Formats: sequence, structure tokens, C-alpha cells
Amino acid sequence: MWKTVNTGAARAEEALKQFLPPCQLKCPINEDIQRTNVLISMLPLDPEGAREGICQIGDYLHERNPLFTVCGYVCGLCELECNYQAKGGSIRRRLLKRFVSDAYMDRIREKEELNIEKTKEDVAIVGGGPAGLMCAYDLSRRGYRVTIFETSDRLGGALWLIPHYRLPEDVLTTAVNNLVRICEADVKYNARIGEGKYSLDKLRKDGFKAVFIAKGTPMPRILTYGREKVEGQELSGVMYGQTFLYEVSHGNIQPNYFGGKKIIVIGGGNVAFDVARTARRLGGETTVVCLECEDKSSKDGIPADEEEIKGAWEEGVQIVYSRGVRRIMGKGGKFQRIECPHCASVFDETGFNPVFDSTDIVNIDGDVLMITVGQGPDRSFLQKENLLDDRGRLAVDPLTLQSLNKDWVFIGGDVRKIGFMVEAMHEGLVAAESIERHLRGLDMRAGRKREYEPQDIPFRRIYKHEPEVVWIPPEKRLHFQLFERGFTLKEAIEEAKRCARCGPCVSCKACLAIGIQHSLPVVEVNEETCSGCGICTSICYYGSAQWRFKDGGTVSTTDTFRCKACGMCVVACPSQARRMIGDPMDTRIQEVFSTLGA
Amino acid sequence: MAKKRKIAIYWLGSCGGCDEAIIDLNESLLELASEVDIALWPIAIDAKYASIERLGDRELALSIIHGNVRNSEHEEMAHLLRRKSQVVLAFGTCACFGGTSGLANFLKPNEIQNWVYGEAPTVVNRAKTRPQAETTVGGNHLTLPVLLDQVHSLNQVIAVDYYLPGCPPPVDLIAQAVRAVIEGKLPPRGSFLAPHKALCDSCPRNSAKPPKIELTHIRRIHEVDEDSATCFLARGVICLGPATRDGCGATCLSINTPCSGCFGPVEGVDDSGAKFLSALASLIRAQSDSEVSGILDTIPDPAGCFYRFTQPSSILGRHRK
Amino acid sequence: MTTFEPKIVCFSCNFGWGYLTDPEVREMQIKHWIPVVCSGKIDATHILKAFRSGADGVLILGCVDGDCHFQDGNYQTRKKVQLLQRVLPSFGIDPRRVRIELSLDPEGNSIRKIVEDMGRDLRPMGPLGMKEISAKPVATR
Repeated sequence: MWKTVNTGAARAEEALKQFLPPCQLKCPINEDIQRTNVLISMLPLDPEGAREGICQIGDYLHERNPLFTVCGYVCGLCELECNYQAKGGSIRRRLLKRFVSDAYMDRIREKEELNIEKTKEDVAIVGGGPAGLMCAYDLSRRGYRVTIFETSDRLGGALWLIPHYRLPEDVLTTAVNNLVRICEADVKYNARIGEGKYSLDKLRKDGFKAVFIAKGTPMPRILTYGREKVEGQELSGVMYGQTFLYEVSHGNIQPNYFGGKKIIVIGGGNVAFDVARTARRLGGETTVVCLECEDKSSKDGIPADEEEIKGAWEEGVQIVYSRGVRRIMGKGGKFQRIECPHCASVFDETGFNPVFDSTDIVNIDGDVLMITVGQGPDRSFLQKENLLDDRGRLAVDPLTLQSLNKDWVFIGGDVRKIGFMVEAMHEGLVAAESIERHLRGLDMRAGRKREYEPQDIPFRRIYKHEPEVVWIPPEKRLHFQLFERGFTLKEAIEEAKRCARCGPCVSCKACLAIGIQHSLPVVEVNEETCSGCGICTSICYYGSAQWRFKDGGTVSTTDTFRCKACGMCVVACPSQARRMIGDPMDTRIQEVFSTLGA
Repeated sequence: MAKKRKIAIYWLGSCGGCDEAIIDLNESLLELASEVDIALWPIAIDAKYASIERLGDRELALSIIHGNVRNSEHEEMAHLLRRKSQVVLAFGTCACFGGTSGLANFLKPNEIQNWVYGEAPTVVNRAKTRPQAETTVGGNHLTLPVLLDQVHSLNQVIAVDYYLPGCPPPVDLIAQAVRAVIEGKLPPRGSFLAPHKALCDSCPRNSAKPPKIELTHIRRIHEVDEDSATCFLARGVICLGPATRDGCGATCLSINTPCSGCFGPVEGVDDSGAKFLSALASLIRAQSDSEVSGILDTIPDPAGCFYRFTQPSSILGRHRK
Repeated sequence: MTTFEPKIVCFSCNFGWGYLTDPEVREMQIKHWIPVVCSGKIDATHILKAFRSGADGVLILGCVDGDCHFQDGNYQTRKKVQLLQRVLPSFGIDPRRVRIELSLDPEGNSIRKIVEDMGRDLRPMGPLGMKEISAKPVATR
């Protein structure tokens, strides 16, 4: 069984000419996707033998991304940019990661604490969600004494909004709780910074030299119509989808809670669908009402993912497109129906500006109304702490995440700009770097902004089709267990093999890690002998061998960042003008040939 | 007046084309003759072997030897001239690599004799006469040179100092080489007195090549329309230019004929046939094994095609049996 | 002739053959073994030189078609071998002395048997004996 040699020398930062495969470019934390794909493809076929290999891969991922087990259930941004999309379907990287995390769960619990000497300053992190956790992890590794102030009684932040049929509770709690254990960060639960005596200044006085604010977006957006708040949001039976999901995650809602009831969900984003599918699993007859239209390719297309819509529809959720809500009507203080005019257009040149047709109205009856039209930060806190500019916007430097009003305060994650979990994690890492630079007196901006170029898919004769993703049949799905079947070992190896390995060797080095070769050879062209015949250019799959004009003739060159040292050009060159430096093959051939005479 | 240096120009298994190429020096020949004494040149000068044998060792400044070594006389003369010369120049492709008659190495000597003196359709030889090495006529014992069992390049028989490939070598390279010897400005021993790169370097069709050549068909020259600008390989016509040393001035290309490889391998390459094989194989584009087979079926004689001029100096050498 | 044991040079690709086993273990199992990173790195010249150095056969082990780590290296080698097998008969060399197998064997346990099988097939052909041939002139008769 191979044993990975984690020299650690394959990080995105070290990709010299700023080339990366598009998947790693899209990933906000530039995870080593190509490397892990190759490693997975080289696992043994027997599960026992593979376990050790998978854990080695997991160790590598965990070191840089201690929340990677969660990503395998909820992310997949990389798949949007995968070069294979146009050739047969994106590599199902999310499922590959989930495959690793499923085998890695025990290992996380067994992992030892980092035991790093915390000799540097005290840093406070406000918010125990993905941004705060990553920041805590990074700063702890750098030797800072980190304290996380979490409003609720559990870590994870907005990750708790994700229903358990998409993200099992066990995966989430194992990841977040072990993260703080391993990096030995201190956590204060039920600590509401901004309320009562808990202000930023108080933190300062208590000895914290820097603060990272990652409070997220706890405030559900209220429903408006033509910029006016819609009346009736306080009726009984009307709630905010976000609040509902939190309640469900606490285990406070009994099964079949909505049995026999009609649930209406307002909203067209992924969270609205999470709400709708959760309500459906609690026995409700559920309808989603959204402003947007069905055609995802239009400017007003429904924002929720195709997969969510398909899953919801299969589970029996109705979807009503292109409708707004003008009035919420009740009787005796209890919600009864909504009045929905047709929405002719959602966005125009000015942005979000819905236009309604008041001659086309339908009324939709229901027992429960869930409003899921977005979330926002706790603005009163930001205002009180003097973190806004004179236009009421967050005063923060987008590159360093440093507050423009208080230089020891850093702000990131959803509270700054709502986005995906991994984007928040990235901001946590950015903030950690900024805090270090601030406290060590280093330049805040130097070398922060790195421009990367995506690399194209290499040419090959045979491109393979993506595998089918298997969901439990809809009629068997109405519970909170996972409905998506993950990969078996054999399927994971097959899918990982399908990866075309678009990225440069310097940002991968998987082959070195498992001893397939011992160094990356370099291809050199002897310009004294190269005739510019172009045969190497024809054969190179990576676009590395190219020809250029020189001194009235042509000569071939090698782009060392695209080159994978595969050797095809060396063999095909009819002038033997190319050679590989650092390749032991020729020596080995001499040795073996010399023993043949004996 | 200083005594003029002596040179010899001699043919082994040669067609005589190399001599014609030297004569193509035209007036420069007269210059040459005024600076050196040509002690031996069968096509132009009357001299006997004995006069060469009488010379002291290394008395000849230069021996220009063309033709391959096919029979015992060639072998004897090669050794003789080597002994008597300071510098031996292997002149022409036959001397450098074995040449076209090297294709005989794909057959056994008795196979060749049986064809030429027996089985060929135009031959009538009921007595099955074969040439002999010895006979007696009128009491005199006569001998003829004996065929060797394979065609040899010159350096397989004697040590060669310089090589000038070509079938024949072009006049400008000959003039350069001769001048270099006379002035004593020669590169290190063992060098080729010709450019180092492959023919594509100077071929006028090279810069218009498409970025990717993908052969789905291989064609013969008569199967494509005449086109004086496009690379032959790009159109599927086998041209050995990429694997062949430059220096000929791309004469064949200029009359719309693909290169057949007469200048031998590029500097540093031992076996141009093998290198061309790898290059050609890499350009073929097909989906399955049988498709590849189908494309390769259109090459009637791949070994002869790739080794037309260089068989004797190839890695595998002559036919095994 | 009965004791003739064919010498087979075996090139095997590291991404398809034996990457789960220690190289030292494989060294002991296979004689004349040359591991390469991709079967596409094998040139026709290497095969010819193997014969010239005394090999009776050359075996190339590459990855399954469509699975090459370097996109299509195995396909490139396959084409070279096909063309070479058409050239060898002119030299009087049986084309079956070059064999290419494209498959997957992570443990590498089947390599020894494949070499033995090839040896069995080559035995009736006798030694190739190219190392003994010299380029020195020899008169006929």
C-alpha cells in the first residue's frame, strides 16, 4: 500500500506562474482538488486496504481545511467550473470529498490536539460559524490565544440552517466541535457581544488585542411589496423560514408536525426550498411561491439549484412561479390566505425592481406561511459599535477585511457579504492573516492579491460520461435521513480517474506523494538541433510544446507550467532535440541492457 | 616551390553520381587541381593501384571515398587508402550510411543472386550459371572480387574522419568541405560537414504548417493535387524531412517531391528510420486498433521507406537470417 | 535449444502496474524490468536497442485504453508498436517478439506470469542473438 509523503509542497500559493485548474480557482480556499483526485484514483480496491490511504488523504485535507467533511455534503462550487462539463459532465468532486469524509469521521475524533504554544496575543472571535471557526483555527496554529464568543449554545452558525437530509447532524457537530478541540481554542457559549455590557470596548479592556466579527446574518428579511412592509406578518401561523429551520435543527419539532396542514413558502432561493422540503417531511402539503420565473436561463430565472427544484418537485412540493405577495390576510388573528399578483419582471437595469400586474391576482389559502426572502446582519449592533460609514454601509477594506473605523477590528463572512459557506471560510482565513500582520506590524496589503489563470482541459481521445447520481426514490424519502447515496470505493476510484488533471504539476505533485516518481522532470529543447518541424506541437496534449518564429525560422519551445513531463514530445521528436532532465529512465535502461549480455 | 599535397578520390560500391557532383564544381576544379595533386580518380585520371601502394603511409593528405563496401575489392581498397591517408572523408550517403543499395541487406546474398541470374522474368539461364570468384583461362588463374554477406557503410570497415552525406552531396557543401581541408580549418574528427538540424529548418513549406497535424489517411504523391506551398506530411504524404539532416537545399521539395531521407539522420541521432517511425506513429489519428491498422496498410513497404538510404547503419542492421 | 530461456525486457507503466507494491518486492520478481512513468515514454529506438543488447523479446505494460494518466500515452505506444511490428519482418525478426498489454494491475502480481507466458511463446523461435552480430565484413562462400 502506498504511503503518502506529505511534504506539504503542493499548495496553491506555490503555483509559480499563477496557473491553476479552474476548479481550484473557483474554490475560495483554493483546495488541492487535483491532488486529492489523483490520490483517490490510486487507492486499492479492497476497503480494508483503502482505509489507511483514505485517512492519509483526509489528513492532508484536514490540515488546511478542518471543515472539509462538511463541504462534501453541502458545497460543490468547483463542479460549476470543471472543464469536463463540456465533455461529458463535471467531475463529481463533492461526492468524492464526501467519500473521504465518511471514512474519516472516526479519525477526526481521534485526532490529537495540535499542542501549539500560545505565546502570542489574545484574539476574540465573535461568531462561531464557518468564518469564525476557520479564523480561530488558523490563528491558534499561529500561536494566538483565541476565544470564540458564540451567541447560541452550539457552534456552526448558519450551517444549522441546512436540513439534516442534506447535512447529517453528526457530520456537522463532529467537524465543528473537534475543530476547537484540536486547535485548543476557548469557546464561550451564550455570549452575546453587543448586548448589555458586552461591547467591543469591553473586549479590548479584557485584553483582546484584535477582534474578528463574523456574526453572520441572523435577521430574516421581512416581506415587502413596492418597498412597503406587507401587513400581516405578525399573524399566528406566519413565521420566517430561517427561524423555522433553526427550530427544526434543535430537534424541537415533532415528526408529522404539519400533518394535514397546507404550508406556503414564499421565496425562490435554496433556503426557501430547504424550508419547503423540510415542511413536506413534517407532513405538510407544501407550495412554494416565488417572484422569479421557471426559465433559469432568463434574467428573472429562479435562483434555487436545479437539484433542489427537482428534488422538491419529486417529493410533491408545488411551485408557483412569477407571483408576488401583496397582502397577507387572516381571520381572528390567524393566517388564512395570501393575495398574489402576477410578477411581470423581477430585475431591470437598476437591479431588484419587481413589476406587478394588478389585473392578474390569485389568492392562495394556507394554514402556515413561511417567509424566506433573505437574511440580513444585525445592523443595530454594527451601528452601535460605529462600524458603518456615513452612508450606512459597512466600513471595511475588502482586501484585508480590516474595519476602516477601528483598526483592531476585522469583519468577514455573511455579515460583510452574504455568500456560500466556503466563501465565509475564506474570509476567516483572510482575517487571520490580516490580524497577524496588524499585530506584528507588517504591511497589510503586500502580496495579498494573487491573479490566477485557469488552465484548459488537456486533449484526449476518449472523454467519459459522468456517473448517475443516485437518490432514494421520492416516496421513500420523506424523513430526515440522507437521500443521496454516496460513492462506493469502486465508484469513487472510477470517478476520480475521470478527472482530466488540467492543472500544473507544481500545484499537484500527487505522483511524488505516493512515490510514482521522485522528482518532477523538466523538458529541455536543444535549439541547436530543433528544426521547428512542429511534430512535438502536434502531439502535446497539454498545449505546452509550441513553436515560435526565431531568426527567420521556427523552433519549438516548452511552456514549463503546462508541461507534465509525460515524454510524448521527447519520443516523437525526429531530431532527438528534446530531452528530460531529472528523469532516471535512461540510466535504468542502460543498466538493464548491460545485464542482457550475461 | 613547395611540393603539392596529394589527394585521392575513389569509388567503392558507387553509382558514379558522387563523381559527377565533384565535377559539378566546374571551374573551381581547376583551382583545386592547381593546389593539389590528384593521385587517384578512376573516373577522370589514369592511375594504377600499384602507384598508391608505393606511397608512404599517410602520404595522401586526403582520401575522398564514396560508395558503400559490398565486395572484397571495396574492402581491400578501403583499407589501403586508410593506411595511406591522413584524412578520410566518407563522401555521399553510400559511404556515410550504406545508401540505397543497402536495401539489399533485407535479403540474403544467395536470394539476390538467384533472382538476378535465375528467377527474374527477363533472364534465360538454363545452365544455372553463377558468377564465380576464380577461374582459369588459358593457363592463367583469374579472380574476381567476392560479394560480402551484407552491404557496409564505410565506417564499419575503416575509421572515418569526416562525413559528407547526400545523394549526391550538393556542390556548395562539397566546395566548403574541400576548402576546409585545404585551409586546415576542420571541425573535430568524426564530424559531419553539413548542417546539424533537420530539413524542416530550411524547407519553404514549414512555416505554413497547421498547428496540429493529424493523419487519418496516408497517401502517395500521385494521389494528391499538386501544391507547392503545403507541407506534405500535413496532407498525409510521407516525407522524411523531419528526420533527415538539412543541407541539400530542399531540391526535391522545390520540384514538388517529398523528401526520401538521403541525407541520413540529424546530428546526434543513430537511426533515422526508428525516429521517423516514432514521429509518424504519433501523428496518426485513429480511434481503434483496426483503424490504425487500416491506415498503416496503405504503406506498402514501411521498412524500405524508412530505411531507404540508411539500412546498413541502422540499429538492427542486416536481415537476421 | 531445450535450455534456452528467452530474455525479455519488461517496461511497465507506474500508474497502471504495481503501484501498491514496494519497488524492492517487484525487483525480485521480474528480471530485466524497467519501470516508467508512462508507457508513452517508450521510443521505437529503445525497443530496437533492447534487441541489439541481447533481448529476445520486449514486453510493454501500459494502462487500460482511455485511462492513461497523461491522457493518451498508452495509445501512442500502441501505434508505435503496431508500426514497428510491420517493420521487423523485413529485418527477419518475428513481430511477436514485441508485445504490448494494456490493462490495470495495482498490485503488480500478474507481471511475472505475463513475462513467463511470453517466454513460453518465444521459446520455439529460438534466441534472437543480435548481440553477437558484428558489422565486420564477411565474405560470402
